[in-house]
Amino acid sequence: MTTTAAVLDIRDLTATRGRFGMSLPHLRLDPGQVLAVTGPSGCGKSTLLDVLGLVLRPHRASTFTLLNRPILPLWQTQHADPLAPLRARHLGYVLQTGGLLPFLSVADNIRLSLEISGQADPDNLFNHLTQTLGLTRLLSLAPAALSIGERQRVAIARALIHRPAMVLADEPTAALDPAAAQTVMELFLTLARDLTITTVVVCHDWDLVARHGLVRLQAQLETTKNGTARTTFVPEGRS
Amino acid sequence: MTPLLRLALKDLWFERHLAVCRLLAMVAVLTPLLVLLGLKAGIITSLTERLLRDPLNLELVIPGNISLDDAALAALRQQSGVGFMIPRSRSLAATVDLSHNGAALTGTEMIPTAVGDPLLDNLAPPTTPQQVLISQTAAQRLKAAVGDTVTAVVSRRINNTAQAARQTLTIAGIVPETRFARDGLFVHPDLLSATEDYRDGKTEDLSTPLPGPRRYAGVRLFAKGLDEVAPLAEQLRAMGYEVRTRAAEIATVQSLDRVLTFLFAVIAGLAGLGYALSLAAGLWADVDRKRKELALLRLLGLSRASVIRFPMVQSLVLALLGSGVSLGLYFALAALFNRVLADGLARDEFVCRLLPQHMGGAVVLTLAVAVLASVLGGYHIARIDPADSLRDL
Repeated sequence: MTTTAAVLDIRDLTATRGRFGMSLPHLRLDPGQVLAVTGPSGCGKSTLLDVLGLVLRPHRASTFTLLNRPILPLWQTQHADPLAPLRARHLGYVLQTGGLLPFLSVADNIRLSLEISGQADPDNLFNHLTQTLGLTRLLSLAPAALSIGERQRVAIARALIHRPAMVLADEPTAALDPAAAQTVMELFLTLARDLTITTVVVCHDWDLVARHGLVRLQAQLETTKNGTARTTFVPEGRS
Repeated sequence: MTPLLRLALKDLWFERHLAVCRLLAMVAVLTPLLVLLGLKAGIITSLTERLLRDPLNLELVIPGNISLDDAALAALRQQSGVGFMIPRSRSLAATVDLSHNGAALTGTEMIPTAVGDPLLDNLAPPTTPQQVLISQTAAQRLKAAVGDTVTAVVSRRINNTAQAARQTLTIAGIVPETRFARDGLFVHPDLLSATEDYRDGKTEDLSTPLPGPRRYAGVRLFAKGLDEVAPLAEQLRAMGYEVRTRAAEIATVQSLDRVLTFLFAVIAGLAGLGYALSLAAGLWADVDRKRKELALLRLLGLSRASVIRFPMVQSLVLALLGSGVSLGLYFALAALFNRVLADGLARDEFVCRLLPQHMGGAVVLTLAVAVLASVLGGYHIARIDPADSLRDL
C-alpha cells in the first residue's frame, strides 16, 4: 500500500488571536482533497484560516508541515520573511468579497498570483480558467465595473492560476444570492478538483457539503471560566 | 520591471487625479524655491562679474617708492593668491613725452606689462621694447591708430644741461577705456628700465637697460580673484608693506552674498521641511487608505520589504515628475524676469540664473526628501498584518 505525501499535516496545534483561542488536534489533507470548515459565526473559522494561510503564528504545534516542510521554524525567523514566498508559490486565497486590487484590470488581477510567485503559464491555464468561469468578456474591465458574483469568479481564477498546493476560501459565496452562490461554488470546487488542488472552504451551506461529499471540520465552541472563548476544530465523525 | 514597480506605477496611474494634486503641491513649493535660488545666484553673479569686469578691483597697490631687490620680488611672487605681478620703476622716471603727426602728449605715464596683465583684457603685450600698447584716451589725443609709430622723448638734466633721448615706438594695440581710463603707455619692462637708467644718467639712449641686478621702486600686483584680494592684502601687510585695495566694495558684495545665502537657506529649509512633513503625512494617510490592498499583496506573497518600497516608488516617481515640471516653470519665469529687467543689465548679465549643478542639486534634494518622507509610510506598512485582508475585504 502506498501513502501519498500530505499537503498539510497538523497535530496538536493551538493559536490565539486577542481573547480568542482555538485548537486543532489533528488535520491531514491530501492533494485534491476538499475540506469544509463549518461552525457558527464568531467561532474562530477565520482564525483557523489565518493559521493555515501562514499569516498567524500558532502558539504551539507538535506537527505543522506544508508539503512536508516544517512551518514553525520559519515563524522563528526574525528579520527575513520566509513565509511570503511559501504563500506566493503554494497557497491561493478566495476572500469573502473577492479582494481584488482596484487599480488592476481583471486580467492583471488574475495574473497577479503568477507575477508575484514568478511563474509562467505554459499550459495556458489562464485561458481555461477565464473560459470556464465566464470571464473572457470582462478581462479588460476594472473590478469596480463587475458584479459581486463576477468578482468572486475573478478571485477564484486568481487563486488557482499558479496551481498552488492548497486554496483557502473564506465563505466565498456569502455575498451572493443562493442561485449564483451555488453556481460559483460548483465551478470553484470542480476546477480545484480537476487541478488536484487541496481546498479548505469555510461555508454554511450544508447541502453543498452533502452534495459534494466533503470532509467536514466542525467547530466546537466552549467558554472558559474567565470568560475567554476557545474553539476546538474536530474532523467529522470525531468528538 | 519588478512586480512591485509595476503595481506601484499602476496604482499611481489609477489614482492619477490624486497624483496630479500631489504633483501640484510639490511644484508649488519647488518652483518658487528654484526661482529664489536663481534670483539670488543671478544677482550675486552679476554683481561679482561687474566687479571683475573692472580688473582694478583685483589690484593691490603698494603706494610710494620702495626698494625691492630680486629676493624681495620673489618673496612677493610666492604669496598665495597672486595672479599677476610685474616690477615698476620710480613713478617720476616712468613718464615720457609723445608726439605723432603734430599732436603731442607730455608726461605720459608708462606702465610695465607682460603676459597675464589683467588690464590688457585679450590684447597681447609688447614683445619688444620698441612696441607699446596705448590707452584709448592717449590714442585719441595723438590721433594714433594701431600700426602707427609715435615718437617718445625722455628728457633729463645732467650738470645743468638739458638732454633728451628719442625712441620710435610702434603701437601694437589700444587698451580700451573700460580697462584704463586715463592717458598711459603699456610698455615692455626693458623700455621702462632703460628710461630709468637714462634719467639717472647711467646710459646715453633708450635702447637697452643696464645689464645686471637692479632694484625696483615698486610692483604692479593683482590678486587671482576677488576672494583672494583681502587675504593677500593681509599677507603683504604682515610682510611690512602698506597696501591699498578696493576690498570694501568687494566685501559689500560678499556680505550681500552671505546674507542672501542665509536667507535662502532659511526659506528653503522651512519650505522643504514643511513639504517633507506634508508629503509624509499624505503617504501615511495613503497607507491607511490602502491598508487592505497592501495587506492583500502581503497575503499573496509579496515580502514585507517589497511592500514597504511601494510608497517609496510612488513618491520617487512624483518627485521626478515634480522636479521636471518645476524646472520647466523655472525656465519660463527666469526668462520672463531676465526680459522684464533687461534694461538695467549688461549684455551678458542675468537677474535670474541657475547653473546645472544648482539644478542637479535641487533635483537630488527633492528626491532625498521624497525618500525620507516615504520611509514614514513604509514604517506604517511594515506594521500591516496580512491577515487584515482575509478578514475585511
